[in-house]
This record gives sequence, C-alpha cells and structure tokens, in this order.
Amino acid sequence: MVELYHWEPNGSFLKPLVALYEKRTPFTSRWFDPIAGEQLARGFPADTESSLQLEREGPILVHDGAVISSSFFLLEYINDAVPGANLCPGGAYQHYRARAWGQVLTGVSAGVSVLGCAKYLAPRLQALEPGTFQKRFGTLEPLERRQAWAAFANGSWSEEALAAVRERLKPPVRRIEAALARDPWLAGAEYSIADIDAFSTLNPLAPLAPDVINRGETPRVLEFLERMRAREAVRAALELSRSGKPLEAFLPGAEASRWG
Amino acid sequence: MLTLYHWEPNANSGKPMLALAEKGVPYQSHYLDLLKFDQHSPEYLAINPDGTIPALVHGDLVLTESTPMMEYIDEAFQGPALRPDSALGRWRMRWWMRYFDAYFAPSLSMIGWSVFVGPAVRQRDPAELRAAIERIPLESRRIAWRKAMFNEFTPDELEESRRRVVFSIGVLETHLREHRWIAGERYSLGDINGFNLGYALPLSQPERCNDRDTPHIMEWLRSIYERPAARETWAKARTHMGERVKMLERR
Repeated sequence: MVELYHWEPNGSFLKPLVALYEKRTPFTSRWFDPIAGEQLARGFPADTESSLQLEREGPILVHDGAVISSSFFLLEYINDAVPGANLCPGGAYQHYRARAWGQVLTGVSAGVSVLGCAKYLAPRLQALEPGTFQKRFGTLEPLERRQAWAAFANGSWSEEALAAVRERLKPPVRRIEAALARDPWLAGAEYSIADIDAFSTLNPLAPLAPDVINRGETPRVLEFLERMRAREAVRAALELSRSGKPLEAFLPGAEASRWG
Repeated sequence: MLTLYHWEPNANSGKPMLALAEKGVPYQSHYLDLLKFDQHSPEYLAINPDGTIPALVHGDLVLTESTPMMEYIDEAFQGPALRPDSALGRWRMRWWMRYFDAYFAPSLSMIGWSVFVGPAVRQRDPAELRAAIERIPLESRRIAWRKAMFNEFTPDELEESRRRVVFSIGVLETHLREHRWIAGERYSLGDINGFNLGYALPLSQPERCNDRDTPHIMEWLRSIYERPAARETWAKARTHMGERVKMLERR
C-alpha cells in the first residue's frame, strides 16, 4: 500500500506526485495543511529521519509501514520500489548524472523557497491571529526548522537579501541551460528523476525571478518547462491543487549554505 | 583507465578512495595539495572547471560530486556490493549520506577550517592569498576560503556549528544504537561517507565522542578502521592528518 502525505503540488510536494503518476501505480493521496501545522499533529507519520527535516517541510511516503522522507530520495525510492516505468534509465553514468543534479537542485530549491516564502508565505503568517504562530510553531524541533518558519513570520527578509538570492540562482540555472543544449533531458538522452526534480524546482521560480529565467538567457529551460507541463503525469499532479494556485504554495526549505 | 584526483584520505577525497579500495579497483592516484591550491591550477581546472576535489576520470567520463561518485563506483565496477539489496535500505543509506553531507559535515568542517586550514595558510603574503581567492571558480568556495584565510568566521556562526556538531553526535549515537551500520545490517557507502566525516571525532571532540558517552560511534569507527580497505586508504596519507586515524586502534 502506497500513501503519500502532501500539500499543494509545488516544489518538494510535486516531485513524488509526478513520479507516482509516471509509474501509473495507484496510491492514496493524504492531503495536509502544513501552515495549519497538521504535520505536527499526533498520529502524523514520523520516524527519526523525517523528524530531522533536512528540507524543513516536505512530503512523506508511507509504503508497507515504512516512512520515507526527503524529496529527491523519495524519487529514487519510488523508482526502486514501485512497479512501472523506469524513471532512472541508462547505465551507471546516467545514474550518476541524475544524482549529481539532485545535489545541485537541492541548493536551487533553497533559494526558490526563500523567494516564494517571502512573497506568499510571510503575509499569510503575519495575518494569523496574535499568538497563533507561537502556538503552532513556537516549540518546533529541530531548532533550525523553527527558526526557518520564524524568519518569515517576522518578515526579516530585505529586498537586498532577496536580490542576492536571485543572483546566486543564476549560475546553477545557467548550468541547467547549458546541459539542455547538449541533451534533451538532464541526465542524457532519456527522461529521468532529475527532470522531475528540475521541473518541480524551476517551475515556481520562473514567475518569481524573470531575471533568472527568461527567453533571452534561458530559452531551453523555458522550453523544458513547457515540455514537462505537457506530460500526462505532470498535468495529473498539478490537477490535485485545491487552491488553484499551486505556484503560490511555498514553505521553508533546505538551508542554502552553512557557510554564508 | 581510471584516475582519481584527490587530497588526503579525509572528507570528500576519502570517500571515493575508500570506496575504490573496498571494491578492489586499481586506479591512478593524482594527489592535489589543497593547502597549496593545486585544485585551482589551470591544469586541474581543465579537468574540473569547478575546482573542487575530488574528480574521477573514467575513460572519457569526468565525475566531480563525491557522494554520487561513490554510487557510480559501486555500480560500474566488479567487487563486493556497497549498497543494500532492498529499496528501503538504499533509501536509508542515501538519506544518511545527505545528512552527513548537508548538515553534519559543513558545521564540522567550519570548525576544522577555522582551527587548521586557516592558520595553515594565513602566514603567507595576503596579496598572494587574495590572488588565490580570485582564481576560485565557485562563489561558495571563495566565501569559504576567504573566511578561513582571513579568519572571518563570526562567533555566532562558529557557536552554531559547535551546537550542530554536538547535536549530530547525539543523533548518530542513537542511530548506531539501533542499527549495526548506517543503512542497517550491512556495511555500505553510508558507512564510508560517515567514516570520512567522523574518523577524527574522538580527537577533535573528545568530551563529546568517547567510549563512555558514545560507545556505539566508537565501535562503529573502530570496526571500519579495522577493515583492510581502510588501512590501505589511510596508508596513502601524506601529511600528519592521516595519523589521526590511529587513535582508533584498540588498546
């Protein structure tokens, strides 16, 4: 039995949804509202790894009782454990490339999360009734997860800091643009989990940062996003949106860099 | 033809070194001296334009990300399997490698760079150091080197790194109390990754990582150190860094 605990189909939550639809394997969708703190409620699936929350917030897959977390490794797990199409085809080098992109895209997702949260999450948190935020997230563990939420509740992101985040996103996005000039897909000739990862990360970035993704500098990235949107699995995943605005659904994400 | 460009058997360089030794795969070793900035030389940048260590060159293929590189080594070469048989085991191995790479290692290395790498290069001419920084391709690495060279770590970020190291030692001890190895019942790349991160913890964090407080970490480290592949790998050390592993000898 496959159960996926997820929120709006955007960012890390979109990845396993697309993979499961690509596999054409039935699964149970368990929707939760992370801004209401439902992932912290008693009975929500958790284990040591999920509670450490390297991504701060993200999807959880429950498969035959095992709790699987961390969205890129969730893609690898779904490909390994769920029957259906092979989402990491090719040989050892193609697999290496997919995994190496997974590392690059984790860094990109950290920046995308900051931009999205500053624009969409912060106003929602700041509109909560006094005391509500503290009640929901005030004792959250681990500490970095609590601090990441508090940064947006307190509105502590300056325009200058956000411009710096956009600037740091340019090199990895240009690297993706260059890769798409060489091959149709990120890991090579065939579609893979790296493309699911890249679409989930870059699709929300395009409207947030037109100075990073645009027709002039990253035409292949835009073409790639359009190609991905046309896939049946991506369409099915996006249709799960309850708000109708999945590109406005952001949560605190992974840390960009410990070193500043 | 297989060539590994690496520094000491330590951190990212040590991961493919130990993985190749475990598989019994011979390779041409190309040592780069991190403290002399060999990794930013034009010759090496022609191989890895990012200027990061290690790099594995296998025929026409160049691999530069150390953790996915280990999975490549396990998949591309004959020898004992270094990944679990089950999907759940492989997921656990990958999750913990990310925990080591993204959470534990950056904090531990910040402390290491502040007390070792920075002082080791700081006595050189500041103009020479600034020129060396300018040659570093990646902004994230320029920031790291600038902080280390000119001692620009703030007290707050060092304190936060110390907090995370202490927290992570506790997390790892709890995990190893419940699991013989990182991914479960069998030695895997997760242990190779973790050993390269943590083999010197009993020396650098003696009040936190010792036989009394973290017996499971100590037994895990000693068990890996006793493997012939680890002995072979650490025998390739060229500096005193490699000596640190000897404190894992059982008395």
